[in-house]
Amino acid sequence: MRVLITGMGGELGTRVANLLEADPEVSEILGIDGYPPRRRIDRADFHMIEPTDRRRIVSVVRDFDPEVLLHLAAYEPHAHFGATPARLNTQASAVSTLGAATTCRSLRRIVVRSGIEVYGRRRGASMRPDETAPIDPTNGWGRSLSHVEHLAYETGGLAGVPVVALRFAPIVGPSFPSPLGRYLRLPIVAVSPLAELPFSLIHQEDAAVAAVAAAKGSSSGPLNVVGPGAITASQAVRRGRRIPMPVFGPGWRFAAVSSEVLGAPLPSHTRELLVRGAGADGSRAHEVLGIDPRSTSDVVDQLYRWSDVQEVRPPVRAGRR
Amino acid sequence: MNMIDLRRLPGGTTLRHLDRRWRGAYDVDEWGLDPELVALTDPAVSLRWDIDVEGAGRLPATGGAVLVFNRRFGFSEPWVVARGIRRASGRFVRTVGVVDVAPVGPGLRRFGAVVDRPDEIAGLLRAGQLVGLPMSRRLRDRDQVGELQVDRIEAALVTEVPVVPVAVLGRELGRHWRVVVGRPIRPNRRGGPLAAAELTEEVRQAVQALVDDASVPGLWL
Repeated sequence: MRVLITGMGGELGTRVANLLEADPEVSEILGIDGYPPRRRIDRADFHMIEPTDRRRIVSVVRDFDPEVLLHLAAYEPHAHFGATPARLNTQASAVSTLGAATTCRSLRRIVVRSGIEVYGRRRGASMRPDETAPIDPTNGWGRSLSHVEHLAYETGGLAGVPVVALRFAPIVGPSFPSPLGRYLRLPIVAVSPLAELPFSLIHQEDAAVAAVAAAKGSSSGPLNVVGPGAITASQAVRRGRRIPMPVFGPGWRFAAVSSEVLGAPLPSHTRELLVRGAGADGSRAHEVLGIDPRSTSDVVDQLYRWSDVQEVRPPVRAGRR
Repeated sequence: MNMIDLRRLPGGTTLRHLDRRWRGAYDVDEWGLDPELVALTDPAVSLRWDIDVEGAGRLPATGGAVLVFNRRFGFSEPWVVARGIRRASGRFVRTVGVVDVAPVGPGLRRFGAVVDRPDEIAGLLRAGQLVGLPMSRRLRDRDQVGELQVDRIEAALVTEVPVVPVAVLGRELGRHWRVVVGRPIRPNRRGGPLAAAELTEEVRQAVQALVDDASVPGLWL
């Protein structure tokens, strides 16, 4: 099985590549991203290409002729890039990769990274939509993801292959670059205790396992990949022994500026998550992919247990002087 | 005296709850229900409502079910049903109809309220929850139950869970209330356009019958 991974430079893409490298069924892996992988890769080939470099991406995808396309190059605002570059890179990468994939003869399957942000959080919206709920994003990140899904289904239709859209809950983990993770780890965290609704999360490792299972599986259509349970922002902050600072209405503007100064920008989709909550029914993914993700409260606990500096000692080789 | 010693004093359970809340070590479900907050506020709630529950054994011990109940003004009834059923069966009732506006909406969600949407009701039923569905208000004639919209009962048909008629009797300014649980009605599995309408009518009649049977005759008789 030949697998093409876009977004392989990110934490999720690198981990997915590592898991596929360990799979004897996977013969070749090729990765594309604008920055190098975050961990060591053993047998995957990696091409460092800017997401906006359409010619090179199209050429590499067509030459590789993948059987499975894992499109993980969806860039969350303020994870690596600011809001505008993240949106433009997500759009450019999806157009180039999925567009090139329509002419790949060996293509059998497309898996794309999406998110539960596509359901939106309008007033009166369902707190736990399943995959049949209509798409109605209420922030820029959700709109970017719904556009990626739309392009993927269009590509799948043209190429005549099944498409799986993995609608991840916000991915959080000890080493996962995310605006939510950075914000919750500030020493003082602004929250709305009287207005907040609970949200669900998914651990970075569970997200990678789900992506690999989707690539190797036979399902199609959208799948919500969500850790069981939920947590409110105030609760998460107290679990991490941070100081919750109650803010209301315009106070969020001040909180956003302050957190940006402290190195943790608060984009609109994260602010919406903290106040309006976000969740989804992940039972179908549990059945179809056979995954058993960590609970949301465990994900939060692991986020705070992350040590600032990890000392890695080189292995001592016998006989070396 | 440290915290551990304090916990052994009278009121130690409350202290333990408060300590857990301070540390964020409590559970909130995906719809916002906070069981520990419900337990903490229960003594105060018991000062307002004294509730007798009859027929609680008819409620399913596990799995989803829709509880359709009558209401007059509609202020006390959702609380009375939720607290009465919880104390009688140990199960939480997710009452439909919260307004999604802060701080009222998030506050009521902590006590089990949910928004009035068919997909939200269906999601709760699939997750094995008891959903409390109030009928329309009936201000003038307290012996007549209100109407039940057909589209609100469709989730029970889709998820094939039983519908339980529940009669709520009491006065808005009074403390004593009665909750009478009727026999569960199994939705018609054949479905079809008329199934929801027929089920709605059957449930409405069942609630009316419960109210008729449970009503105390007027003093003038």
